[in-house]
Amino acid sequence: MLSKRLYDWIDLRIGAREIVKKELTGYLLPKKINEWYSLGSVLMVIFGLQIATGMLLMVYYVPDPEKAFKSITFIMNEVPYGWLIRLCHAVGSNMMVAVLLLHMFSVLMMGSYKSPRELNWLTGFILFCLIQGISLTGYLAPWSQLSFWATTVATNSAAAIPVIGPYLVEFMRGGKLVGPPTLGRFFALHVAVLPAVIAALVGAHLFLLKRTGISTPPSGVQQSRNPWPVESYRYESHPGGIPFFPNYALQDLTSISVYFAVFLAVVFFAPNFLFTPDAFVPANPFQTPAHIKPEWYFLANYQTLKIFPSELLGLSVQVAAMTLLALLPFLDRSPERNPLKRPLFLVCSIGGILIWIGLTIWGHYS
Amino acid sequence: MENDSRRKFLGVCLAGATVAAAAAAGYPVIRYLAPKSGKVGTDKLVFATSDIPDGEAKFFEYAGTSAVLVKTNAGALLALSAVCTHMGCIVQWEKDKQDFLCPCHAGHYSPEGEVLSGPPPKPLAKIPFTVADGKITVG
Repeated sequence: MLSKRLYDWIDLRIGAREIVKKELTGYLLPKKINEWYSLGSVLMVIFGLQIATGMLLMVYYVPDPEKAFKSITFIMNEVPYGWLIRLCHAVGSNMMVAVLLLHMFSVLMMGSYKSPRELNWLTGFILFCLIQGISLTGYLAPWSQLSFWATTVATNSAAAIPVIGPYLVEFMRGGKLVGPPTLGRFFALHVAVLPAVIAALVGAHLFLLKRTGISTPPSGVQQSRNPWPVESYRYESHPGGIPFFPNYALQDLTSISVYFAVFLAVVFFAPNFLFTPDAFVPANPFQTPAHIKPEWYFLANYQTLKIFPSELLGLSVQVAAMTLLALLPFLDRSPERNPLKRPLFLVCSIGGILIWIGLTIWGHYS
Repeated sequence: MENDSRRKFLGVCLAGATVAAAAAAGYPVIRYLAPKSGKVGTDKLVFATSDIPDGEAKFFEYAGTSAVLVKTNAGALLALSAVCTHMGCIVQWEKDKQDFLCPCHAGHYSPEGEVLSGPPPKPLAKIPFTVADGKITVG
């Protein structure tokens, strides 16, 4: 058969069979692995799709305040399937943040961040911040009233930082107010700097995942306490576990299909779900629309700044919360990973999530 | 045996679904990137005869490409494609020599578009035009 001969030809040159055995068919996962573990693969697919649609958008998009809005209108109304490419990119960016939050939630609940996976958590946390950054910088690109004023509100938050705050805001914007220099630097960050940094960090995240092995889910299987001697390197193998390919690859594929069902449902049936009427008006730096808000995932931060009597206090609370989250695996050192056996953790994490949701809703309606 | 045929059937279904998904994703991308089809700039263009003095040429865009109207010293009017038939460069009108020169590889054309010298394999394409009431209508 031609395909077998071709495979033999490649195998002889690059050792394909060995790679497949080591990385796919012989890569064993814990028997009771669940669907939550596939969210990382879903995120990789979303990231890939964002890159592909972003490259396509750059064919027609012009990063110039005079032309940006017109070029987006042109893409949406004139270019064949331009609306599809653009909506996939816009909806995809929001979905990426949402799925990333779910991924972090599952890692939190299953205690997968614990020793020796502190760096997996840390790289993931930095990726979370960078994804928010790439979404923020991309939000300005259409140069609509919504993007212009949401960026004004979002960048203005940094002014609460003592001493350097006002300068930092000016530095981010490239001027005192959001304007043409802001679009230039946000565009460079959005299409060049941040994608490269994110890709590199995804590589580091995967390297760490490969090196330590997949963590065993805390529930479902008779759990033996994992006496991990972190002084020396040990790969967490799963003898008798299920192979990544084809078994778990099928779960990945299932999760990706479910994701696409939800994603395409929004793209085709509720495309304006994310856009307020201000998204269809070109930016006017002299006319602030009423009730302008940042993107949904910044609403909690936005509301926190508003409820504290001083912005500095509001900012300090956020910095403290983010630092706590980033350093969680270094603070929470108990080996127990079952959430039902960690009442304090469960109360704090569920409480934190509820506060975040509450602040987001409050921010939306305030 | 039954298992084998079932496996084969599922494999064919999977391959079919993959091809269908690839086509569903690929078609919009190709349409998105494809150049605008249809009549691009094929509308008739109108110039005043006074726009082109004797011995001079007027270059313009027509049907998405470059064209030229030339009036020889003898008063003959011609409309030609300005795209050199050799490598696609745009020919230049040499007023003093009353011919077209392609600066890329020194191809020479007569005012009628015939090849005089150089590498062009074919004459410049002629474009239909009419002259009436002091107006030149190209197309």
